[in-house]
Amino acid sequence: MAGEPLRLRQTLPHGSDLAERLSLLRREMAGIAAAAPPAGAAQAHVPLGAAGLDRLLAGGLATAALHEITAAAPGDAPAAAGFALAMAARLAAPRNAPLVWIGEDFAGREQGALYGPGLALHGIDPARLVLVHTANAKDALWAMEEALKCRTPAAVIGEIFSAKLYDLTASRRLVLAAQKHGTTGLICLAGPVCAEALSSSAETRFEIRARPSAQLASAGGRTPLPGPAAFDVRLAKARAGPAGFFPDREKFHPVLWSHREVLFRDALSLPLAAVAGDGPDQPPRRRRA
Amino acid sequence: MNRAAAARGLRPGLALADARAILPDLHCCAADAAAEAATLANIADWCRRFTPLAALDAPDGAMLDITGAAHLFGGEAKLCEEIEARLEAQGFAARTAIAATPEAAWALARFGEARVMPEEASEEDLRRHLGALPLAALRLDEKMLAELAQAGLRRIGDLILRPRAPLAARFGKQLFVRLDALLGHAKTPITPRFEAPAYLAERRFAEPIVQRETIEATILGLARELSLLLARHGEGARQLDVSLFGVDGRVRHLRAGTSRPLRDPAVIARLFREKIEAAGNIDERDPLDAGFGFDLVRLSAEETERRDEEQAHWLALDHAAIGRNRPVADNVIDSKSMERAYCEKPASTFSQRALTAQDDLADLVDRLGARLGLRRVLRLDLADTHWPEFAVAAVPLYDHRSPHPEEPSKGRRLEGRGRPNGQACEDALHPSRRPLRGLLRMRATASGERELSPRPIRLLEKPEPIEAIASVPDGPPVRFRWRRVLHEVAAIEGPERIAPEWWKHDALTRDYFRAEDAEGRRFWLFREGLYETGTARPRWFLHGLFA
Repeated sequence: MAGEPLRLRQTLPHGSDLAERLSLLRREMAGIAAAAPPAGAAQAHVPLGAAGLDRLLAGGLATAALHEITAAAPGDAPAAAGFALAMAARLAAPRNAPLVWIGEDFAGREQGALYGPGLALHGIDPARLVLVHTANAKDALWAMEEALKCRTPAAVIGEIFSAKLYDLTASRRLVLAAQKHGTTGLICLAGPVCAEALSSSAETRFEIRARPSAQLASAGGRTPLPGPAAFDVRLAKARAGPAGFFPDREKFHPVLWSHREVLFRDALSLPLAAVAGDGPDQPPRRRRA
Repeated sequence: MNRAAAARGLRPGLALADARAILPDLHCCAADAAAEAATLANIADWCRRFTPLAALDAPDGAMLDITGAAHLFGGEAKLCEEIEARLEAQGFAARTAIAATPEAAWALARFGEARVMPEEASEEDLRRHLGALPLAALRLDEKMLAELAQAGLRRIGDLILRPRAPLAARFGKQLFVRLDALLGHAKTPITPRFEAPAYLAERRFAEPIVQRETIEATILGLARELSLLLARHGEGARQLDVSLFGVDGRVRHLRAGTSRPLRDPAVIARLFREKIEAAGNIDERDPLDAGFGFDLVRLSAEETERRDEEQAHWLALDHAAIGRNRPVADNVIDSKSMERAYCEKPASTFSQRALTAQDDLADLVDRLGARLGLRRVLRLDLADTHWPEFAVAAVPLYDHRSPHPEEPSKGRRLEGRGRPNGQACEDALHPSRRPLRGLLRMRATASGERELSPRPIRLLEKPEPIEAIASVPDGPPVRFRWRRVLHEVAAIEGPERIAPEWWKHDALTRDYFRAEDAEGRRFWLFREGLYETGTARPRWFLHGLFA
């Protein structure tokens, strides 16, 4: 990095309007700034389990980095939080490390507070969770930065409702803290935010949409039963992806979350018996019915 | 009553009309008892700069226990002078007196000629000195004083000489209780406003300090001194207090609790930096409201707990000592090597790494707590109920006012409840897996061998009413409207019937459903009340959200 000249990884399309070019440049700058090798810890990749997603992420979710999770629509915010928690559970699983959840009060009021028994069914040990409530986004970002300086938690999840304060500078601070201390931050933008307009120096940005689960037929041919949690995941940004830019940027990848294995799975269009067996709450006899 | 007024002939108890007659241009205002009490409390707090044991002596005094403190100020007479001079500089007129008992000091301050009763005064001297005081010095009420005066008793000396039994029979026992307390025959304690801290370090400044950086540097220096004291006694602080004594008599307190016994100076200083930072959110420029500055900064450990030296520190100590070719003698704790030991924790072996990891997270929790408030750093605590909103509660991860570890828990409690919060905190921080028993129980009670009842990842603060349409009255909903959005139910599971505990009469039985709408969003709904037995018109609520 030191000797070689800096090159733009994307060429600016001619004729595009000014705002678009500016935002492109800004994103490019963020890329250059964060491309410096991390001083402290080496990056590792934790495979998520879903092959399609892992391929796009060049092996899995990068540690010592910051990842953003946004909701495709306001109603998908619980799905986005669920996806963030699932990724955190995936990171925490190998050594049963603690997790830190930092949430803005407003987001908690809007979407509800984290519920211990539900988290246990989502693959997270509630006893190993440190919850931090902050009055505003400023405190939440500060708390996140502090938490990222601490090596013990497997992941620090921040839920921020107003993305106004979360800008290039704020994300850069978090990225630096994460890189220096080898920690992983997941920032969940709970409020309405456009994944394309956001400029930040995060490693990846996931856009999450709730996905109809692999439903199971119920007895008597009535309304089917909901299956395990499923998400549609779009990788809106991936710094480590092939050449930083990738072809199926617009594509949503369907994934399932299997809380028992603490692993994502590629969701198939047709529900398979094996997949359904991973469900949190379906006893075998009901499935046979 | 100030000196100017006294010089013009006013005295307490004078009727306002008479006072106006003496001084026509007298400015009067109504007495504000609350403000006076607050001022007095401030003064009593400020007096803690002389001794940690300062009690409020309402309505017009403060009582200090200066045992072993006077020599720091050049003797008792000097101390009296200093207190008076400092209070006068703040605009108060004060009289001070020092005696062996609180009562004697009270009497001397108000009625005495001599100000300092020598400590080694003989019984004879004592009687002579105190005997000359009027009976009002015994803090008797007006009525009794009048009765005593009618009996010809005006001075304390009159009482001392007379036989006690007849007087006690006539005036009550209270009289001699007070007299004995005055003469030191009976001991009466004072009730200090704050308990004396276990350990404290302080620094006085000839020139008051104002700047935040200076104050922070001072706190760091004090933290180093305090950590040596704590280390010598094998303890760590759980509750710390920084008192900043202003030149203008105001005292500013900063308090910080810790999640574990703490004695690392850098960490202590960082906690208070967060505190000052948090204060800075209110007033950016002058977070501590320094005013004319502080001339005494005191750091005290209000609550301490035993903390044993960890192996890692011992190693580091050893390294530090070897590095500088100096043996570390037993029982001698060298401040430099201590600091180095704290600063460079080598994380080479596994146990050390585990240790630092635990400390690491506890540090974080302390830091967040110091800045955001202790009530904002939480853990999930399971309660012994199946009623969804009470089944789990977010409680502060640590609270130094939590019940003591040895205290037996009352009744049947779940794991995580009866234990002290420190332990629970350790649970959250310690790598060993401790599943919460409540969750396991849930696994056991549900029908089927591996079935778990579905629970949402997020629970709304209050169940929100929804409009739901069901195909049959007690069946699952077909569609529902929540927050003005219509959701078509595509898949549904339920009902899971949750009835309130039998001793609760006002709550209704709920039938919970897990519903998925056409877009794949999953909700936790319930219908409140059973048909026929419960209510005529059951209402529907949305209670939680699934991933």
